Amino acid sequence: MRGPIYTLSRRLLALALLLTLWLPTIATAAAAASDADRITELEQELQQSLRLIAELTTRVQQLEGAKAQEQGQARPGAPSGGGRLDAVESKVAQIESASAARRGDDSGLAMHGFADVGYGTRNPFNDALKGFNIGNLDFYLTPRLGDRTVTLFELVFEASDEGAVSVDLERAQVGYVFGDQATAWLGRFHTPYGYTNTAMHHGAWVNDALRRPSFLQFEDHGGILPAHTVGAWLTGTVHGANGGKVQYDAYLGNSQQIVDGVLDMRSGGNDHGKLIVGGRLGYEWTDGPVEGLTIGVHALSTSIEDNALNRTQVRVYGGYGVYDTDRWEHIAELYFFGNEDRSGTTGRHHSSAGFLQLGYRAAWGVPYARYERASLDQSDNYFQAQATGFSYTRGSVGVRYDIDLKSALKLELSRTNTTDRTISRVNEILAQYAIRF
Amino acid sequence: MNPRAGRFRCGMPLALALLVVGGPSTAAPAAGPGLGQLPQKWLDDERRETPLAGLVGRRVVLTMAYVDCHRICPTTIARLERLQQQLDARGEPAEFVVVGYDPKNDTPAAWHRFRASRRLQRSNWHFLSGSTGDTSLLARQLGFGFWKYDDHVVHDLRVVVFDAHGVVTRQIGPDNRDWLAVL
Repeated sequence: MRGPIYTLSRRLLALALLLTLWLPTIATAAAAASDADRITELEQELQQSLRLIAELTTRVQQLEGAKAQEQGQARPGAPSGGGRLDAVESKVAQIESASAARRGDDSGLAMHGFADVGYGTRNPFNDALKGFNIGNLDFYLTPRLGDRTVTLFELVFEASDEGAVSVDLERAQVGYVFGDQATAWLGRFHTPYGYTNTAMHHGAWVNDALRRPSFLQFEDHGGILPAHTVGAWLTGTVHGANGGKVQYDAYLGNSQQIVDGVLDMRSGGNDHGKLIVGGRLGYEWTDGPVEGLTIGVHALSTSIEDNALNRTQVRVYGGYGVYDTDRWEHIAELYFFGNEDRSGTTGRHHSSAGFLQLGYRAAWGVPYARYERASLDQSDNYFQAQATGFSYTRGSVGVRYDIDLKSALKLELSRTNTTDRTISRVNEILAQYAIRF
Repeated sequence: MNPRAGRFRCGMPLALALLVVGGPSTAAPAAGPGLGQLPQKWLDDERRETPLAGLVGRRVVLTMAYVDCHRICPTTIARLERLQQQLDARGEPAEFVVVGYDPKNDTPAAWHRFRASRRLQRSNWHFLSGSTGDTSLLARQLGFGFWKYDDHVVHDLRVVVFDAHGVVTRQIGPDNRDWLAVL
């Protein structure tokens, strides 16, 4: 039998259960009501804030307009409010631009450059040597001195034929920028003839081919043209209305000299004061069906002496064509020599040299083929005095493979025939590992 | 009066406004300056002023390139085109911005010819030209290292992705094979 205590206990339990279930509901409902109120309150505050912002904006505009009107009336000659605003904006833009330019300046001198090492059944620049070789360690420095004054220094460490490491300041230029159309340089620069000499510099990584055509090599690598000039150089690009670009160069400098069979650019001056004078004019299509095509002409004249004190007035003229696109890199250059013996009686001599290179920019690399030929008059003192001034033909095939964005592996197979001073045939297999940093 | 309560009351409308305007935030932690903190004076290839801050609100894929580049830039552009196709397939919008490394040559006219010859005519692609100072500053802020070797601009492959808040959320480099997966 159940007593009153039991009944009371049951009622209390039921009440407790009821409270347990009901109280949270009450609390939740209360909280919900509280959140809803709060959000409503916040929304009202937001609306008030937005209204206040709108009122303040309107008031500021009214005040600015009244002030501008007042100042315009006070100074009849002064520009209108809009005009003055434009002037102020222009000034601010100038200050911002100058500030940005200053912020964009390098703090300190960045060190960049190139290096390459290789292997060959013949040394790529001296076929009397074979095996492994170190190429260039090329430091490229362009300290920035301001908006107008520009500089360029290229310091190259390389191994000589004897294996000793030599240092050469290949380029040392200080220039003044007149504008996009003209920059004047003073110093030692790559003589602007043809295309290769000012497009393929000492850094091997930049060039798709493993090496330059032999006759266009730098002087100490067997080149027969004055690749460097110490003097003054005016260069620029004029953009045409149809998108084409006219490129021009004019220069003069110390006449070079042949010292021990190698052309020397006379970095400290020469002893007779004679000059090299030359120029180049090119046109590049940047639009239409021949976009990427550049053609140009060039000419130079210089008085060259050798160790035997023979003096030759060297006159070189020629033309070049380049088709440089995302897919193709084709280069053709022609050089004609009309040299005059000024110290003897051998008279005028005519020679020629040229090359054609075809390259394809595939996704995996750049295969290329090149044919080059030099037909040089051996009775011309200018060629006779040069160790590499002989006639030759060379056919090459090669490939550049980019290992990554900073290093490339190149392979070249070539056959060279020398055709006058000596008669020979040399086959070469060359490999090069070129990097940038 | 509890001063904190007052501060809370002032801050709440702002927080609420941000919630209303910005929606829920899903951005990854910022890895660089936002679009609004970068230089803003750029011209597109139609010579229209194109401040980068004006692109906030949309995902922005930004790279640097130069018109005369035949080595890295064509690859970058081709991969961006591929990325555009992949985003199209997923129905995800994005703005593609290419800033010229070489202000002297990368003029609006040059970019105009560039995009015409490569059929890059979509309106969400922007090819921008700026001053030398602004270009250098932007490159430095976003980590686009480059230097000039005569007419060559020596640079790396790099893409920076901003989210709808204008915050850098992703960076793509030469080691990234699947750019869509990076996004």
